[in-house]
Amino acid sequence: MVRLVSGMTVTERQIALVVLLALSLIGLAMAAGGRGDPMGAQGFVVLVFSVGLAFAVMAGYYAPEPDESRLTRYYDDPTKVGIVLTVIWAVVGMAVGVWVASLLAWPELTFVDQAWASFGRLRPVHTSGVIFGFGGNALIATSFHVLQRTSRARLPDQFTPWFVLIGYNLFCIVAASGYLMGITQSKEYAEPEWYADIWLVIVWVVYFLLYLRTLARRKEPHIYVANWYYMAFILVVAVLHIVNNLAVPVSWGHAKSYSLFSGVQDAMTEWWYGHNAVAFFLTSGFLGMMYYYLPKRAGRPIFSYRLSIISFWGITFFYMWAGSHHLHYTALPQWVQTLGMSFSIMLLVPSWASAGNALATLNGAWHKVRDDAVLRFMMVAAVFYGLSTFEGSFMAIRPVNSLSHYTDWTVGHVHAGALGWVAMITFGSLYALVPWMWKRETMYSPKLIEVHFWLALAGTIVYVFAMWNSGIIQGLMWRTYNDGGTLAYSFLDSVEAMHPYYIARAFGGLLFLSGAVVCASNVWLTIRAAQRERRGETGTDVPIVAGAMQAGE
Amino acid sequence: MPEFFHRKIERNAIGFVLAIVGVASIGGFVEIAPLFTIHQTVEDAPDMRLYTPLELAGRNIYIREGCYACHSQMIRTLRDEVERYGPYSLAVESKYDHPMLWGSKRTGPDLARIGDKYSDAWHVRHMINPRDVVPESIMPRYGWLARNELRVDDLGEHLAAQRDVGVPYTQAMVDNATRDAYGQATPDSDAAAGVSERYGAATQVRAFDGDPSRVTEMDALVAYLQILGRLTEAPYKQQSTAAGE
Amino acid sequence: MDVGKQDTVTGRITTGHEWNGIEELETPIPRVVFLFLGAAFVFALICWVLYPTWPLIWTYSKGLLGFDQRATVTRQVEQAAADRSVWTTQVMDKSYTEIEADPALMHLVTETGRTLFIDKCAACHGVNATGGTGFPDLAAKAWLWGGEPETIEETIRIGINSTNADTRTSQMLAFGRDGMLQSGQIADVVAYVRSLSGLAPAEGDAARIEAGKQVFADNCTACHGEDAKGNKDVGAPDLTDANWLYGSDVQAVFTTVYSGRQGHMPNWGAKLPPLDIKILTLYVHSLKKVAP
Ligand code: HEC
Ligand code: HEC
Ligand code: HEC
Ligand code: HEM
Ligand code: HEM
Ligand SMILES: [Ca+2]
Ligand SMILES: [Ca+2]
Ligand SMILES: [Cu+2]
Repeated sequence: MVRLVSGMTVTERQIALVVLLALSLIGLAMAAGGRGDPMGAQGFVVLVFSVGLAFAVMAGYYAPEPDESRLTRYYDDPTKVGIVLTVIWAVVGMAVGVWVASLLAWPELTFVDQAWASFGRLRPVHTSGVIFGFGGNALIATSFHVLQRTSRARLPDQFTPWFVLIGYNLFCIVAASGYLMGITQSKEYAEPEWYADIWLVIVWVVYFLLYLRTLARRKEPHIYVANWYYMAFILVVAVLHIVNNLAVPVSWGHAKSYSLFSGVQDAMTEWWYGHNAVAFFLTSGFLGMMYYYLPKRAGRPIFSYRLSIISFWGITFFYMWAGSHHLHYTALPQWVQTLGMSFSIMLLVPSWASAGNALATLNGAWHKVRDDAVLRFMMVAAVFYGLSTFEGSFMAIRPVNSLSHYTDWTVGHVHAGALGWVAMITFGSLYALVPWMWKRETMYSPKLIEVHFWLALAGTIVYVFAMWNSGIIQGLMWRTYNDGGTLAYSFLDSVEAMHPYYIARAFGGLLFLSGAVVCASNVWLTIRAAQRERRGETGTDVPIVAGAMQAGE
Repeated sequence: MPEFFHRKIERNAIGFVLAIVGVASIGGFVEIAPLFTIHQTVEDAPDMRLYTPLELAGRNIYIREGCYACHSQMIRTLRDEVERYGPYSLAVESKYDHPMLWGSKRTGPDLARIGDKYSDAWHVRHMINPRDVVPESIMPRYGWLARNELRVDDLGEHLAAQRDVGVPYTQAMVDNATRDAYGQATPDSDAAAGVSERYGAATQVRAFDGDPSRVTEMDALVAYLQILGRLTEAPYKQQSTAAGE
Repeated sequence: MDVGKQDTVTGRITTGHEWNGIEELETPIPRVVFLFLGAAFVFALICWVLYPTWPLIWTYSKGLLGFDQRATVTRQVEQAAADRSVWTTQVMDKSYTEIEADPALMHLVTETGRTLFIDKCAACHGVNATGGTGFPDLAAKAWLWGGEPETIEETIRIGINSTNADTRTSQMLAFGRDGMLQSGQIADVVAYVRSLSGLAPAEGDAARIEAGKQVFADNCTACHGEDAKGNKDVGAPDLTDANWLYGSDVQAVFTTVYSGRQGHMPNWGAKLPPLDIKILTLYVHSLKKVAP
């Protein structure tokens, strides 16, 4: 802690304290104003969080200032903390995933008759925990790293990156603890209530400005493709978030709000958001990650710059039209559905172009893919990215969607993307990044990376196959007819038929979770080993030389 | 050479940012804005009624407990759905739903037409322990709903907020929200009469949880479930009655 | 600066930029990408021309096919009903005895009836129609209102204590809560009622039975009959058989007499077409008693 604070100038420490003071006042106001409402409890969460951090800052307040030589180095402390947070959220989010999967297989598993422990409240803890907690932290941490390296510029100051990272995690904690208390807007992937939404806007604007300020200082004339994707991620998520979360709170003292739009307009806005949260959070952001760590690890140039261009603009343009494929055959007017379907089909081309660009980059490095589990993570991620986008475009076709919608097929598709693509590319990148950040040759145990790889791959395959099976069976049972032309199965028949698949899914998830735990231990051991080694050494960072290369990077 | 052009804009961060925002804005604008201007988007249904304060409170509990994670409220225009659940859902049915609860997953059955399908007593028992009445069920228990007293003192503020986003609650409705919530769940009280006066004679005034002496969260949730699909007759009138299974 | 190097593996030239060691090749976009993009666009174009697609501020382009999902499903549902009419008209036209004598027709009816029953009725009566606490076992044939198909159909259509205006009404009075009987008297009558179906008497019951008999004669026979065999006109159950709607232990029976009972069976006439109700009636009537 003290070491982290000592990386900031005294002025920055003062700013940090002022911000934390302001935050704790906000928390206090929420706690006081929200008495009798869950808002009050949220206020306490904010208060404890900011006071706790203020103590940490004060503990390091009198540490010596960093000297000017820091400006010749990259600023990686926030990335390091971001990595640790990513790993923690991964384990927590996936453990909750395994738990809710088990609840669907064995509903009586709920150990207490308490609201917070029920499926409906835990499910968003899982989805937000993995998407925003795990995915979001991974994106922030890697974006800071990639941005500096590809711009050959240090982050503009030492306070803003902390504000972004810590502020973002405050958002995640407020969101997750809120779900347990029953605070939710019910809009999928946008569940947090109005005050958390507003806070995220502030954090996000700062994040965006940080990006621009660093880019403005870049020593590379061209902006690298990874940054195009990170920028699209930051910008478009901001637009989506603001529009979809427009709402009127019941009062300043109520956590509850009513969204501005209703019915069909609300549905379209929600899925314009929801689909593009997938596009710009789970796709664009992670493509940015892939475009840096994959070529870096493979030691190969990007297969085609021109392909990068058309896939980037294709994705950015087409995705935004596709949201209505979540609303096929509903009360949404059919013309919007046709647009959603046709653009989803066209979207496949740029999606495969970027997957192909990644895989073709590995040409000349396939022997490394065979030997290096880290690169293999990234390769498999690109394959699953191709697979889930193909599946997505297929499911976006109206007649196909008439079968898949509302079923576990969607859940299977989600996790092909989430486990196979998002989590795999993240783990691969983390394994590359951690040794660079903590200045070691390799991870503590390359063997454990290998173990993790196979656990992750097996878990993904079990999960996805279980859900494909259950989803298609479910969809077919709902529409199977007797010879006499009447429905052959009741809904309850389909519930019973899902049982074995729900068990299989929970098992697959458990494999995947074990892999994440293995990763967490490996990261932990690596950091500890690095600290031991450093204690023996000089204690300084390796300075950036003119070429801005870091040892082993 | 298009890439020549690209080499230019990728040297200019601000230009790049504007390009992204521009390219990304088109789709959403073309798909969302016309939903407010094209009149056919939402059907006419003059008989469409508002949620009473008790039903609105129940709807908020439905949201709070995450029922939408397992239940849809949107019957699609597909033969099997119409035959299983009833007339397909119209846009007008959710026109006062801020936000909508169409759902995206059917771990449990669709609830768009659940109103009046079962008795209050069944709902109460089902919510307390679904496996008590449906042994095959995988739905969670919601025992606390019957224990928790419903918070009614702030319902006026809820209605006022709803009015701010466009739901036509009258001032009398806002002023009497707390009283109406109590009255709807307490049929023998003086407060009961005002409910049908303000929300229509067809409003269900009952002790939904079976206990007229308390107004619980169960009262609110069951009142909400029993109104689903019954805010307007439009879907039944518009569609030749679901021609049987 | 923009001078590329040659990549040794592919032989391609790089773009000449480098970011922390990462370079990019000037590989032309593979032709297949354009091919697929073209194909996808043509597909999209076809959709746009044929189906409703483009918003035009106050209206939208309707597409050449004049396709509308609502019209389509309405047509499909009507068509399906017409296709089924081969046998459904027979169900509607024939009498219950005729249908039950026709195994082929009964096969179609029970097949349909099963799904209908589980989707609409199993919530209360159970998947096998064996009921549960408060919900009668329909396979046991211990009818509250009568087991003739016409009676069953009537029950399903109008419901019991339902929101329908013509509903059957049934009410087991709350003798204790409403002060008609003292607790002691209730304990007596409970002991008596339990003895009627040969249940093992609970502790102290033996002494109460005689007194209970009198309480029963004074208060209960109006509905349950002199012989306690029930009355199908008011839906009062037979108290001498082994079927218990609300449970047979002392506590349950005591509660029944103390607080009364009023089961609620929804009226399906408002929600199901007459055909479905007839199919359900046949299905319920055809149920075999399940061994306990
Ligand atoms: C884990 C998933 C799950 C959650 C969460 C859930 N349900 Fe269910 N629900 C089911 C399943 C499965 C069924 C079908 C079996 C049954 O009737 O219990 C069902 C059935 C129902 C039914 C009967 C529907 C019918 O037509 O028979 C109602 C009403 C209902 N749920 C309401 C709710 C409410 C209200 C909530 C939230 C407070 C909720 N459910 C939460 C899974 C769920
Ligand atoms: C909400 C729960 C519920 C549902 C759903 C329900 N029933 Fe019932 N049903 C009851 C109850 C309770 C009774 C007994 C009423 C009483 O206590 O007098 C009953 C009684 C009956 C009876 C009369 C039995 C007798 O002994 O006379 C028939 C027949 C019947 N139900 C058939 C059906 C059919 C067919 C359906 C589906 C279309 C159905 N029920 C759905 C609760 C329900
Ligand atoms: C006004 C008519 C009426 C009178 C008087 C009446 N009952 Fe009932 N009783 C009913 C009806 C109707 C039911 C069925 C209630 C239901 O199905 O919900 C019933 C149900 C019962 C049951 C439950 C049977 C089961 O299967 O669980 C018992 C026990 C019973 N009565 C006992 C009595 C006794 C003892 C008395 C006199 C002290 C009595 N009843 C007087 C109408 C009456
Ligand atoms: C240990 C691994 C995991 C397990 C066991 C797991 C389990 C589950 C379960 C049981 C559900 C609910 C499905 C339902 O309601 O039927 C779910 C939903 C979801 N999960 Fe996971 N999950 C895991 C990992 C992940 C990861 C890593 C991500 C994202 C990066 C993710 C993203 C999601 C999303 C977006 C949903 C919502 C899907 C929808 O609404 O259609 N999950 N998961
Ligand atoms: C070409 C790309 C893609 C297309 C066209 C596409 C299309 C679809 C479709 C049609 C659905 C089902 C909607 C429904 O019936 O409810 C869906 C759901 C989903 N997809 Fe994709 N998909 C794509 C890529 C991805 C990727 C890469 C991910 C990454 C994780 C992903 C995550 C999700 C999620 C989370 C949902 C569930 C939404 C919900 O909660 O209902 N998709 N997608
Ligand atoms: Ca929100
Ligand atoms: Ca979903
Ligand atoms: Cu989508």
